[in-house]
Amino acid sequence: MMRRLAPIAALSPVLLVALALAAPAPVQSASTTQGVYTEAQAAAGAELYGAVCATCHGKMLEGTYEIPALRGRFMGNWGRAPISSLFDYVSTAMPQMAPGSLSAEDNAKIIAFLLKSNGMPAGTKALPASAEALKAISFDPAAAAK
Amino acid sequence: MASGNRFADPFGRRDMLKGSLAVGGMLGLQACTGGGAGGIASASSSGGRPLLVPMRVSPDQLIDIKCCLRPFRAAGPNLSTEQVGDTLVIHNYGHGGSGWSLSWGSAEIAVGKALSVLPREIAVIGCGIIGLTSAIVALRAGMKVTIYARDLIPRTRSYRASGSFTPDSRIALTEPAGPAFGDTWETMARLSWKTFRTYLGLPAQPVEFIDSYGVSDKPMTRRHDPADPAITDSWATKGLPQQNSEFASYGSRIKDIVPQSVAIPAEESPFAMPYTNRTSIMHFNFAAYGHLLMTEFFERGGKFEMREFHSPGEVATLKEKVVIHSTGYAARDLWKDKTLMPVRGQTGWLVPQPEANYGLRFGTVSIQAKTDGMVIMNNSPDLGEMLGVGDSNEMPDRAPIEEAMRVLAPIFAAMPGRRA
Repeated sequence: MMRRLAPIAALSPVLLVALALAAPAPVQSASTTQGVYTEAQAAAGAELYGAVCATCHGKMLEGTYEIPALRGRFMGNWGRAPISSLFDYVSTAMPQMAPGSLSAEDNAKIIAFLLKSNGMPAGTKALPASAEALKAISFDPAAAAK
Repeated sequence: MASGNRFADPFGRRDMLKGSLAVGGMLGLQACTGGGAGGIASASSSGGRPLLVPMRVSPDQLIDIKCCLRPFRAAGPNLSTEQVGDTLVIHNYGHGGSGWSLSWGSAEIAVGKALSVLPREIAVIGCGIIGLTSAIVALRAGMKVTIYARDLIPRTRSYRASGSFTPDSRIALTEPAGPAFGDTWETMARLSWKTFRTYLGLPAQPVEFIDSYGVSDKPMTRRHDPADPAITDSWATKGLPQQNSEFASYGSRIKDIVPQSVAIPAEESPFAMPYTNRTSIMHFNFAAYGHLLMTEFFERGGKFEMREFHSPGEVATLKEKVVIHSTGYAARDLWKDKTLMPVRGQTGWLVPQPEANYGLRFGTVSIQAKTDGMVIMNNSPDLGEMLGVGDSNEMPDRAPIEEAMRVLAPIFAAMPGRRA
């Protein structure tokens, strides 16, 4: 961050303003509709889900009256935002009985499984296991709707 | 109107009410001495017999007969989605005799599918219990909702049901529904149950529990219909179920939360019958509950447009591009869903009797106190789930209702504690 800021500080104020307007934080270059995880990752995530998450969220990701479903309404809760928010939340708040106990790689696998369960296609590149990298991936609905 | 009748007091009800008050005092003592669940459940007289006000069952009390066709599908309700032009249609219909009971869970599934494409606004077609709860769940989730329907809920088939929590009544046939549907059913049933809990104890009792008594002159056993090997045809060969054993039964999956029947010794029965059982049943009082749902719908900004649709193509002309389709039995014509089969049902309604707030079942006839009337049913001949299957006659028939009254009246006349 500092290394990027140093040369920018030397630029003219006009250019600085222009840069600020044009680049709100990291540019979102990918969408979950474009295949941002691998099948292998999602399969591993499904196993982790069964072992760690299904107790509360249900084997069909159906949730309960009190516990959020991880399908359907899930898109309403997390959609049209960088996938990093979801990754952050899962990394720090889940699983509820032992928050933050899973590795970054395992959390990425679980999120890959959730993406697959919500109709997002698999691709050839694995979902990154860092919030920073995930800021560039937007969790978008499968089909555009009014 | 009930108070006017009380002056006449033909059944000695005043005496019995006095008796109930005295019993109320004793109940407190029982609770203190650790009388247990049995003591609390029955406000018993000194003889251990709970006193109930007898119901008035006579043709002069009949105020309505309602007949309806349950929208039954062998594979269970249609919860699939399809694209019609540029419109995503999410089906939510075909809940048999379980629409009221599964409505909230089914709405959650439909609205979840709508949310998967993040629409700002959606349309709901149909304003029966499935359409209305779908619309409310969508509003609660922050979407703008317009219901397009030919009637508001009081004039829909939903209102012509009996309105009890019966979540697996003609909901599917075991084979065509497949094993996976059981899990979906359980999710819907549990979520609905939790939601109904939020309506308990509200003014006007939109949803309430009452005691329903079953009485018999023979020992009562749980109905069980094993497959009859002599019947070789089935839904698969005939397009209609041929016997009770084909119907799916999922109730045992939620018996951890749903009250089950308990046997009551004859000497503790409110009825002069050798065998009695009691079940706490939950039901929906149409007027209060329907009003509450419509009120929430409009208060949350829901819009209603009276409209009939005649083909799926018309649905795609709506400005909303995500549509929840919940027209119940009408989907048979609108969506040409010939897998929907009619299962005829009929209820008679007597003047409400708030002082007799319980239910009674005897063989195939029953009566149940609801705030908008005493619902009386005659489910004979004793065909179980097969009764009414394939019958699309939606005309009320008074004779079976009067017959049910003739069967039930002597049981009330013989109630212990009643003045001769």
